[in-house]
Amino acid sequence: MSNAPSVLVIGGGSTGCGIVRDLAMRGLDVTLVEKGNLTHGTTGRMHGLLHSGGRYAVSDQSSARECIAENRVLRRIATHCVEMTGGLFVQRPEDTDEYFERKLEGCRECGIPAEVLSAEEAREIEPHLAADIERAIRVPDGAVDPFRLCVANAADAVDHGARVETHAEVTDVLVEDGEVVGVEVEHAAGEGPFVHGEAGEREEIYADHVINATGAWAGQIGEMAGVDVAVRPSKGVMTIMNVRQVDTVINRCKPKGDADIVVPHETTCILGTTDVEVDDPEDYPEEGWEVDLMIDTLSELVPMLSEARTIRSFWGVRPLYEPPEVGSDDPTDITRDFFLLDHDDRDDLPGLTSIVGGKLTTYRLMAERIADHVCDRLGVDAECRTAEEPLPGSEDFSVLRDWMDEFGLRSPVGRRSAERLGSRIDEVIGEWDGPNPTVCECEAVTRAEIHDAIDGAGSELNAVRLRTRASMGNCQGAFCCHRMANELVPEYDEAVARDALDDLYQERWTGERHALWGQQLSQAMLKHLLHATTMNRDADPAASDEPVDFGAFDAGPGTVSTADDGRESGVTTDDAVADGGTSGGSDADS
Amino acid sequence: MSDAEFPQSTEPTVQDDFEPVSVFEDGEMDLRPGADNCYKCSVCDTTCPVAEVDDDFPGPKFQGPEQWRLKRKDDVEVDDSIMSCSNCMRCDDACPSGVPLSQMHNTARGEYVDEQMSKLSREYVRNRILANYGTLARLGSKVPRLTNLVMGNSLVQRLNEKLLGITAERDFPAFATRTFREWWRERGGPQVQSEDKRVAYFHGCYSNYNTPEVGKAMVRVFEEFGYEVVVPRQRCSGTPMFANGMLDDAERAASVNVSELSDLLEEGYDVIASCTSCSMSLRQEYPELFQLSGIEEVAANTYESLEYLRIHEDLDGALADAAVDEQAFAYHAPCHARNQGLDRQAVELFREVDGVEMEDVGDSCSGISGTYGWKEEKYETSMKIGEDMFEHMHDAAGEVGMTECPTCSMQMEHGTGYEIKHPLQLLEEALC
Amino acid sequence: MPIRDDVVVIGGGLAGSMAALSAAESGAGVRLISHKKSTLRQASGLIDVLGAVDGDAPIADPFAALDRLPEEHPYRVVGAEGIREGLRRFDDVVGDRYLGSHTDRNALVPTHGGTIKPTARYPVSVAPGLASAAEDTLLVGFRGLTDFDPVAAAAHLEAAGVPFDVDGAVVEFPIQFRDDARTTRFAKAIDEDQEDVRDRLAGTVAAGIDGHDRVGFPAMLGDDHGTAVREYLEDRLGVAVFQIPTGPPSLLGMQLEDQLIDALERAEVRLSTGNPAVGYEAEDGRLTAVTVDRRGQEVPYHATEFVLATGGLVGKGIDSDRESVSEPLFGCHVPHPEDRYEWSESEAFGDHAFARFGVVPDDDLRPTDADSAVHFPNLRAAGGVLGGADVAREKSAAGVSIATGTYAGRRAGEEVAQ
Repeated sequence: MSNAPSVLVIGGGSTGCGIVRDLAMRGLDVTLVEKGNLTHGTTGRMHGLLHSGGRYAVSDQSSARECIAENRVLRRIATHCVEMTGGLFVQRPEDTDEYFERKLEGCRECGIPAEVLSAEEAREIEPHLAADIERAIRVPDGAVDPFRLCVANAADAVDHGARVETHAEVTDVLVEDGEVVGVEVEHAAGEGPFVHGEAGEREEIYADHVINATGAWAGQIGEMAGVDVAVRPSKGVMTIMNVRQVDTVINRCKPKGDADIVVPHETTCILGTTDVEVDDPEDYPEEGWEVDLMIDTLSELVPMLSEARTIRSFWGVRPLYEPPEVGSDDPTDITRDFFLLDHDDRDDLPGLTSIVGGKLTTYRLMAERIADHVCDRLGVDAECRTAEEPLPGSEDFSVLRDWMDEFGLRSPVGRRSAERLGSRIDEVIGEWDGPNPTVCECEAVTRAEIHDAIDGAGSELNAVRLRTRASMGNCQGAFCCHRMANELVPEYDEAVARDALDDLYQERWTGERHALWGQQLSQAMLKHLLHATTMNRDADPAASDEPVDFGAFDAGPGTVSTADDGRESGVTTDDAVADGGTSGGSDADS
Repeated sequence: MSDAEFPQSTEPTVQDDFEPVSVFEDGEMDLRPGADNCYKCSVCDTTCPVAEVDDDFPGPKFQGPEQWRLKRKDDVEVDDSIMSCSNCMRCDDACPSGVPLSQMHNTARGEYVDEQMSKLSREYVRNRILANYGTLARLGSKVPRLTNLVMGNSLVQRLNEKLLGITAERDFPAFATRTFREWWRERGGPQVQSEDKRVAYFHGCYSNYNTPEVGKAMVRVFEEFGYEVVVPRQRCSGTPMFANGMLDDAERAASVNVSELSDLLEEGYDVIASCTSCSMSLRQEYPELFQLSGIEEVAANTYESLEYLRIHEDLDGALADAAVDEQAFAYHAPCHARNQGLDRQAVELFREVDGVEMEDVGDSCSGISGTYGWKEEKYETSMKIGEDMFEHMHDAAGEVGMTECPTCSMQMEHGTGYEIKHPLQLLEEALC
Repeated sequence: MPIRDDVVVIGGGLAGSMAALSAAESGAGVRLISHKKSTLRQASGLIDVLGAVDGDAPIADPFAALDRLPEEHPYRVVGAEGIREGLRRFDDVVGDRYLGSHTDRNALVPTHGGTIKPTARYPVSVAPGLASAAEDTLLVGFRGLTDFDPVAAAAHLEAAGVPFDVDGAVVEFPIQFRDDARTTRFAKAIDEDQEDVRDRLAGTVAAGIDGHDRVGFPAMLGDDHGTAVREYLEDRLGVAVFQIPTGPPSLLGMQLEDQLIDALERAEVRLSTGNPAVGYEAEDGRLTAVTVDRRGQEVPYHATEFVLATGGLVGKGIDSDRESVSEPLFGCHVPHPEDRYEWSESEAFGDHAFARFGVVPDDDLRPTDADSAVHFPNLRAAGGVLGGADVAREKSAAGVSIATGTYAGRRAGEEVAQ
């Protein structure tokens, strides 16, 4: 270990990943612990909007200014995580001119480039916009892939010497002599490079400073340390469409409300959202009316959404925070700004800083401020370089131009691979040895990319999914979950692969349940038939403690049953084990 | 990646009331929503005759819904394997979920040819020539004997292969010494007049220039049933143009056809085609690919000739007492007939006719798919696809082939040496 | 002049084909209308009758478990005798290409996922690989394929406690195809023995045979010449060779479809394919015709008896939107919970209501409305369009189609004869 001061960051969302990268680049000895996968919490459950700031241009201009500044930074350092789609604020006949003008004015005041388009011009850009729209404001909104962004931050942090520990849940905050000195974590089951402990093993990790970057969960960590962090979690639904009905971010130009945004995201569109305060960030109702509201309300902007196929819905919890003295009743009134709570100043508890509120677009800026603060506390004098140094994968984006023939991929497959991998494509696909078939056809993910994700994330297929998008298309894993599991063998045992398959299959199902009608219900039935009927995975004897009486079954014509009804069936040879046990070992990787 | 941060002006431009912008304006079709119907079952891939013999071809699921779903609006790149699709359209017939596969293929191919294929390349020039067979034929049939002599010359064939990439393995179809339209004119047009039984005959290029006997049979059979037949001005149905991504050529031809046929529909005519690719084109591809006034009505009122009689006449009854000379046929259903649900009708119709033995040679594709099998680089694939059909034809009792599609019939003849007839010719023999 | 037949069957899958064959057997003139390729192409090609009831799996004797099925199950209408009748007719159709008719008992077949599953009839090429036969086994897969991993499958079979040793080996396919070549490409190459592929395949596998009694490949060992392929490989390798059924694209499913079409042709059933049935005509409470849309024009197909075999949610015989579930052709009643969140369970393999969606038959398989009255006295339903069975979890999909198809077709034929 180096002599550098040590910092422990709790929370593997965008903020935590941003902080760990920033501090590692400044030469500190940093560890990040996350109870699930990276992006497990709120970051992995958002609509992927890269704000131009336009959404805050009327209500919260300081956020708006930060957004447009960071928007420009991310386009530079995270090219392969960002798609500059552009965005429109669309005015419908029932939306007021007054608000439209305020929005336009607000954008100008905040330095957000904004252009007014006639209805016709807007519909030339997005032909599926409603015929009766009035006009629109064009702003530089974009789409960002939060998974890729966090993984890139974490990977770069590791490259700079950080330790990133996923599936390590904080079970206690260690306080000694009135000072926070570290945390105790419990390692979960799972195998891979980011899991260093045994499943269930507890580990105490000490640090000179601890940062609580757990967003909606910040209150729970605070409680362990004995301080009060009053986060007000607010849930919002996001509904994923099967295809991109629009290629531009479409916002409704009216004061903040439910169901007012469509974000093109990778191969899909995401409809959002609602804003309802909840008590527990992990346990809240996910309700059908919220999905219906998305479809019915956003169809006013993009009519074809009413008949289009949705493939799943998910909910995220915003880590809203406001100083206790403000006391807003409605969560939509709570600022989207972030707060740095130094618990030494606030609660006389040195060694701990919490960060709450904020949004993905400004994650890097938040990280910079916290890193500055912590360095100040620890007496470290180091410059922040995260706004200049590109993230891994975004170093040399010109490589995108050559995606095509180089790796023998079909051009759309190559294009998608390059968009996900950025400048890493050569390392991941170019250096792959052996056949490189497509594993996930919906999202065009090849075997080489799956293995790259396994190398990075271990045997957990949900983590592989987040890195690659495999199983995130319209079949929701029906045709690729088991293929992904196959890729784990023989590096991992078949039993590990089977558990990983079951986890992924269940995870996909949980979101798909919110889209079960029409085409997606047909899709779900086909999936059910493939996995239950064709593969009998629902009644797999391997997963059961009950041994199968193989002797009671037909073993082909001409064989004699061991069953007592005298009918022809059953096994014939002597080495059959009547209780269904195996009759010997085998070498599974011959 | 696009960058939207360049607003040009701050003033709203003039705002008028306007009709909804056409999504497909300027031929730019966005078929991404068509991918909504795909549930990845792969049935289309199992029916693709090209994917079965050519591993360079990734199959219709990839070419269709997957490629479209993976697209973004600004993406221009279409995978070049789209040119290996033979446009047999069997995937349309297979998809249990109603994905507009062939429309996706046609559109992607059009985009590929427009955006990615050099207009100076040999492939483009060759494809343009093949796609415009009608023009070629019009010239050639002005001096049919000379053309036949020249095109039949092996030196010319080798030159064609070298210069144009048109395979030397095939004999060019011979031009008739008198076209169908010449015959029609000389005959003085319709012999039957009727107020309520009226059909307009879309003969297509091949019946006109190469096999006028099919057209004549069509006229005689329909007149036998009391129909007034007219032969409107017409251009190529567009089938070979779709298959080569020449959508502009096809649209020009379609606008002439739709306009001529629309006028006749108003006078109470239904449209009849004897070539199943022509009827396919008018019925399905026209409304899928073009927006022309009257195109939906033309599509809805176009029929294949036998189909029309089956629906409107008591064909079984008429054939019940018919007898023909003993003959046995090896029948092949063209893919495009299959797509219209016509693949069984000839066999079922003639099965009961005295003297006729009719054997279906199975549901394989003939492999020629119009102009596809004429391309030097596709010839081998085309023959591999056809192998099943050749084999089954040889196994069948009949020594005469039968099919509704002119290019299938070329392939059948090329692969077996059999004489090939159209069902209308047998119907003519039985009824007239 | 209307198109007229005695019996019109709507739907060309397993249920519709069995119904048409069964009706034709009675001497009726039968027409089968089908829109697209059947869902058989997505299915394994195995004929399951019943493999699990109430979490009890695998079941060795399906007939002994029938009385544990719920009252509304279609098997309750046709009974054990109906299932036997269906299987007899199926056995006639496939002849010696399927095995399993020698016993009531299910066989256990290894799947491409490495599980074992109970089934009543299996293609002859699958037979040597039964997991209920205790013979040491080598599974072979190809490097470029993603759907079947022989090493994982072998280990999975071991975990299931099969009574034999099983190993897996990944080999190169002898011909270098592009990485995304379709399964049909492999099958075609083997079928036609392109580039001596059979010989080279045997050479590749021979070294690993040692000590195994049989060797299994994913189901792509040829098509028309499948028997010759297996015989050749068995001869070269000196052990039994079998195929492992796969998911889509399923060559075994396609071959079964071909066999059914051959049988329909032999039975002189008239096939009208490629256009959808979209409506119907009725007179005095009886169905007189179904109308078929030929791109804009509706053509009526008349008959005296009709069989609805349009499939379930996958075959699109059952449709749904956010509010409700319906049978789109005749508007038959499909019971379903009002709240769509009750259509499914939170467990992925839970007891989903949607898996049982379908029309409710009376005791003669005629669809009934919400008040249990028959929609039409001359309309029967068969196969996936029938509700009441979770065919996926029960492993009963093919059995339900065969039994109800055969029953509905026979009854239609009997009614015509009267």
